[in-house]
Amino acid sequence: MMRSKKLIWALALPALLLLFVFMILPITNMVEMSFRTPGSSEPFGDDYTIMHYTRILGDGYYWGVLWRSLTTAGMVTLLCLIVSYPIAWHLSRAKGFKAVFLYACIASPLMTGVLVRNFGWMIVAALNGPLNESLMALGIIERPLRLLFTQSLVILALVHVFVPFMVLPINNALRNIPQSLTEASASMGASRYQVFRDVILPLSFPGIQPGVILVYVLAVAAYVTPALLGGQMVSYMPTLIIGELTGTFQWPFGSALAIVLSCSTVLIVVVFTRLTWKLNERARA
Amino acid sequence: MTTVEVKSLRKSYEDFLALDGVSLTAESGQLVTLLGPSGCGKSTTLRCLAGFHEPNGGDILVDGESILNVPSNRRQFGVVFQNYALFPHMTVAENIGYGLRLQKLSKGEIATRVFDVMKLVRLTGLEDRLPREISGGQQQRVALARALVLKPRLLLLDEPLANLDARLRDEVRWLIRDLQQQSGITAFYVTHDQSEAMAMSDMVAVMKAGRVAQFATPREIYQKPTERYVADFTGEANFLTAQSVKPVGEGRYAVHVAGADIEIDGVPGLAENAAAELLLRPESLSLVSTGDAATFEGEVIKCAFLGASLHCEIALPEGGRLKLTAPPNHAVTEGDRVGIAIDLSHVWLMPEVAP
Repeated sequence: MMRSKKLIWALALPALLLLFVFMILPITNMVEMSFRTPGSSEPFGDDYTIMHYTRILGDGYYWGVLWRSLTTAGMVTLLCLIVSYPIAWHLSRAKGFKAVFLYACIASPLMTGVLVRNFGWMIVAALNGPLNESLMALGIIERPLRLLFTQSLVILALVHVFVPFMVLPINNALRNIPQSLTEASASMGASRYQVFRDVILPLSFPGIQPGVILVYVLAVAAYVTPALLGGQMVSYMPTLIIGELTGTFQWPFGSALAIVLSCSTVLIVVVFTRLTWKLNERARA
Repeated sequence: MTTVEVKSLRKSYEDFLALDGVSLTAESGQLVTLLGPSGCGKSTTLRCLAGFHEPNGGDILVDGESILNVPSNRRQFGVVFQNYALFPHMTVAENIGYGLRLQKLSKGEIATRVFDVMKLVRLTGLEDRLPREISGGQQQRVALARALVLKPRLLLLDEPLANLDARLRDEVRWLIRDLQQQSGITAFYVTHDQSEAMAMSDMVAVMKAGRVAQFATPREIYQKPTERYVADFTGEANFLTAQSVKPVGEGRYAVHVAGADIEIDGVPGLAENAAAELLLRPESLSLVSTGDAATFEGEVIKCAFLGASLHCEIALPEGGRLKLTAPPNHAVTEGDRVGIAIDLSHVWLMPEVAP
């Protein structure tokens, strides 16, 4: 007993060490930094203050940016879910070479570097880019649309890259649903839609939940895409934070912004998990 | 209530012929068992009946009408699966009431019917449990209740007892048979267990490589099999090669076998000198002293005392071995020369492979 307990700790040690050095320490450091006074010649001063938090919470501008970041991530997550579910369904039915090919296709956005991918979107969405030209050639629009530097393009680009994070867990959950359950509900008179609504959808929830959380957290924290495709006119929390940290060198204020964003995200994830807990528990066969 | 006619059903997959002309009938209220080893097509036949598979040829008539174009959710058949296929996210009561809920019945009526059927299968009190919180035998009864509560036209059971331990199997087996007979539902039952098939069925279809080898009553498939495969699959059997087969009447033959000349019943239509085998079930043989009463004589090579009976294996001088069951107090040991008397009315002549 003692030995196996020691063994468990020994095995957990590398992971714990990694967590401590690369997560606990930086976060502690960040929290501490967010309470520092601003420095005049250095990034931060010697004393402690809560002025950064009062400044953020007292200023409608920051509330607005926070709201935009959280809702944009929500939109990205929702669209990702809608796009990913049918893909995950097909993937879960595929076998052999077809499955491998589909996996590769789904993972392809992740195989492109983040800058290349976003510059790609800039070219695609440019005023005289292929997207506008095709739409005009098809007669859908008469004048080129201003797509670049809009929130819609940011959402589109984020959905594109985050789809794999939604598809894979849902695919996993769908694969775990025995075919006999579908057949059983059909034999009891369920139409295809009813089979989906009453059996497939609830039982795929153990895949939907992690997919949603993963994509939401990634979307809230995304920096490069909003920075490149969102333009100068609209700000998101990550762009704002980076601006404070590396632009104006206001480390304490930047840290406070980051902590506010993290806390909001954690709060949303916790509420979402609580709300869906019962559904998820039941579906875990 | 419901009659079923399966007409030369065919089903093939890319490189595999699963059903090669399966024909069966079920009269109203009968329980028809599809018996055979895995891969013989028994489950495929059931799945075609349920509408989960589409056959490539043949027809299925229910009350005289083809159902091949009716999707499985409109067939009104109850299906019980080998793994039970209970919905893990629904409670026992929700599982059973699911089909009723789809019919948009009132909550009160659903509750009443669920309660009644749960009483019938002795599950009262487990309404709010999830399937994973109840035992295998209880899950099996939920699956059964879920099918029965819809008052199906036809009940289809796919190896429903395969995942239960021996004691429970016996209990649930009788429960299924009782409920089926009480409600008068026509049922198809798939199993690879011959004793299950014999005990429960009105009719048994012994299946072999996508075909029905014999479709008859349990008594007939046991006592009058059409070929060696059927005899082998339905119980312990001894086979002796018959020589100089001579028809002496309708389904009656004179044969020379292992040094003896006897006259016995057999599959009708065997030609003179046809290649045929004699089926001797262990219980139709008895040990006697060598001499007049004995049809065969031989040497005991194995003898096992099983309490209620004695199992012996006897080698015949002409070649061939016979297994038999003797009364427990019979004094024989290995190496003894013994005589064997046969109950001629329980011996059967059949071709090795049906034409």
